[in-house]
Amino acid sequence: MQEHDAGSGGSQIVVQGVNHLYRPPKGRPVLALEDVSIEVRPREFLALLGPSGCGKSTLLYLIGGFLPIETGSILLDRAPIGGPGPDRGIVFQHFALFPWKTVRANVLYGLEKMRLPRKEREQRAQGFIDLVGLTGFEDSYPSQLSGGMKQRTAIARTLAIDPKILLMDEPFGALDAQTRHLMQIELLGIWRRSPKTVIFVTHDVQEAVYLADRVAVMTARPGRIKTIVEVALDKGDPGIAKSKAFIDAVDAVWGLVRDEAIKAQGARVSP
Amino acid sequence: MARVAGIDTKTRRHESQALITFGWALARALPIIALALCWEALAASGVVTPFQLPRFSAVLARIWTDAVAGDLALNAALTLYRALVGFAIAAVAGVILGMSMSRSLAVRWLFDPIVSVGFPMPKIAFLPVMMLWLGVYDLSKIAMVVLDAIFPVVTATVAGLAGVDRHLLWSARNMGASEREVVWQVLLPAASPQIMTGLQVALPIALIVAVVAEMLMGGYGLGGAMLQASRFADSRGVFAGIVEIAAVGYALVKAMALVRHRLLIWHQEAQAPTTV
Amino acid sequence: MSVLLRYLPLILLAACWELAARLGLVSQLALPPLSQVTLAWIEMLRSGELLANGAASLWRAGAGLALAIAVGAALGIAMAWWRPVNAALGPLVEMFYPMPKSALIPVTVLWLGFGDGSKILLIFLGCMLPVTLGAFNGARGSDQALVWSARGMGASRLVMLWDVVVPSALPEMLNGIRTALALAFILLVSAELIVAREGLGYLIGYLGANGTYDAMFAVVLTVAFLGFAADRAYQALVHRLLVWRE
Repeated sequence: MQEHDAGSGGSQIVVQGVNHLYRPPKGRPVLALEDVSIEVRPREFLALLGPSGCGKSTLLYLIGGFLPIETGSILLDRAPIGGPGPDRGIVFQHFALFPWKTVRANVLYGLEKMRLPRKEREQRAQGFIDLVGLTGFEDSYPSQLSGGMKQRTAIARTLAIDPKILLMDEPFGALDAQTRHLMQIELLGIWRRSPKTVIFVTHDVQEAVYLADRVAVMTARPGRIKTIVEVALDKGDPGIAKSKAFIDAVDAVWGLVRDEAIKAQGARVSP
Repeated sequence: MARVAGIDTKTRRHESQALITFGWALARALPIIALALCWEALAASGVVTPFQLPRFSAVLARIWTDAVAGDLALNAALTLYRALVGFAIAAVAGVILGMSMSRSLAVRWLFDPIVSVGFPMPKIAFLPVMMLWLGVYDLSKIAMVVLDAIFPVVTATVAGLAGVDRHLLWSARNMGASEREVVWQVLLPAASPQIMTGLQVALPIALIVAVVAEMLMGGYGLGGAMLQASRFADSRGVFAGIVEIAAVGYALVKAMALVRHRLLIWHQEAQAPTTV
Repeated sequence: MSVLLRYLPLILLAACWELAARLGLVSQLALPPLSQVTLAWIEMLRSGELLANGAASLWRAGAGLALAIAVGAALGIAMAWWRPVNAALGPLVEMFYPMPKSALIPVTVLWLGFGDGSKILLIFLGCMLPVTLGAFNGARGSDQALVWSARGMGASRLVMLWDVVVPSALPEMLNGIRTALALAFILLVSAELIVAREGLGYLIGYLGANGTYDAMFAVVLTVAFLGFAADRAYQALVHRLLVWRE
């Protein structure tokens, strides 16, 4: 059983006063994020929770460097972030695997960019493939895998580059409910063994409370951070999801989200 | 004892599987065989003259003599040479143009109307212009092939590149790929199914244009030979030519489908569009 | 305004043509100035040469295409609807589809000579298969739910064919017809260039052989433009027919 230390995954992110204007190809620009400020502590698991369209993915993309920051600042370990890079690894909802590469080749891609010696690359890749439970499927193509397996590949691929922080954009949203549940348990297990800073976007309250140390609830569009809730639960308890403390926490968070969700429903579909 | 029986049923299942596949192949070949037989019967019946419809067997015999004499190989090779060289040029130039169009708005603006207006045009009408400019030998034929075959390649490349999921590109950048690496290692492979489809459309077009150009300009080649046969009222030669060209066309399409299957084995569909 | 901007490159191309020819960058024989070509075009229009040959060409293409659509569509729908028809004809369609239809030019001439008949036959045979394939795929894809609800309402098989299958097969069939339309122009021009005594393709060859290249270019552009215009007009027609789809 290979040892996985947390490596460099203990970074801090500070978002200060970020606005984002979404400019659709046709139609008027829409304010997606308004004056968003939040601090993500080293090695904490932070959930970004909010209704559809609240801009939580947009915020994640800004942190990832995929969208330009027009107002405000985002600092990684007190330095402003640049464009996309392996210091902020991302996992997308629809996996974004390279379909022409096998599982192994996908995981190796980032490692090749790190210019490690060949033996080390292959060892690391195999290690992460084993970690996510895909041993034996190294030579399969994504089109041959189930949704859950694809997402495991995506997670292995991102973990392999040893990012300082892990960004997850509703990673289990495209999976069926049962697979989603299993993946949540696995992800929590992997994270607890080697905690990294994680920002996890979701619209599922239960998922957020189950996985996160803190849950940042966002308002409906234009999105801002409404409240941050500390989740003081014992993640090591396998029966945690049935405990009263858990149910109370979910209830409390849902109360915060509900009004925003209703507002989001009432808003028009497109500007 | 049970183990031996197990092996027996397994081989028997394999055998019956093979028989089923063979049966299906036979069922599919049946209409074609029936057609060949009808052809032979109709030609032999006297309802039509041997000139109008030579016997299938006679046509086959003629193909055989052509093959033995080396004419078939010569003509087929020439036509294929012109078609494939033109196709290769169209493929490379088309992909490059498609890539430039998708990267540069100016290039896109410049070529968009040319491509969209040129696509539905019967570009074969420009054949006499090509003859005027480039003569009546291989060059004008190949140029004509390029003119016709490049359009589907460009269109498919532009569409393929535009359809690439931006998250794939983001992932690549996320993992530290430079812009050049993103284009060549991710963008192009991601667009390759659609580009391949464009190539599969372009190849049969290349063949037809080569044949028509040969018919117009004469000389050697499958088209030229067939037109000469019609001039000499050599109906067996004409029918032989049809069968030969059909066979070449069929072989090219199948070869292309095979290439697609090997290159795109990771892709779910295996769409093989066919020809003009 | 935006339309003008979109087609500006073509106008620029025309300007380059005129300039290159006028400035002597290319031989005026090989590439007559666009203005000269236009004048030749007007002259042929006046003399009736263009219209007479144009009419001959369009008549041939139209007749061949109409036959191809009628027979091809019937064939495709029949193949989709009745299993034995599909079993009998499917492999034949699949075998003939990759064949370059231009290979039929000499044989149609052998049978019907240099006149209209050979061209109409050529276009009919060549354009039939794309229509068949389009109709077949369209009819096969007929929304199963629609078929069942029609049957539930007591429709006989034939009525169902007409009321449900044909309309839902329409989009794909119309797409097949679009392919056939382009193919018709290609086959028409090819045949007329090689084996004809009238028609636009013949006119191009005749003018080229005579050395009147400006007139030749004029007809080449006319033919090219006709193909383009036919495609656009067809798309507009299809759009109106399929308004219910979106």
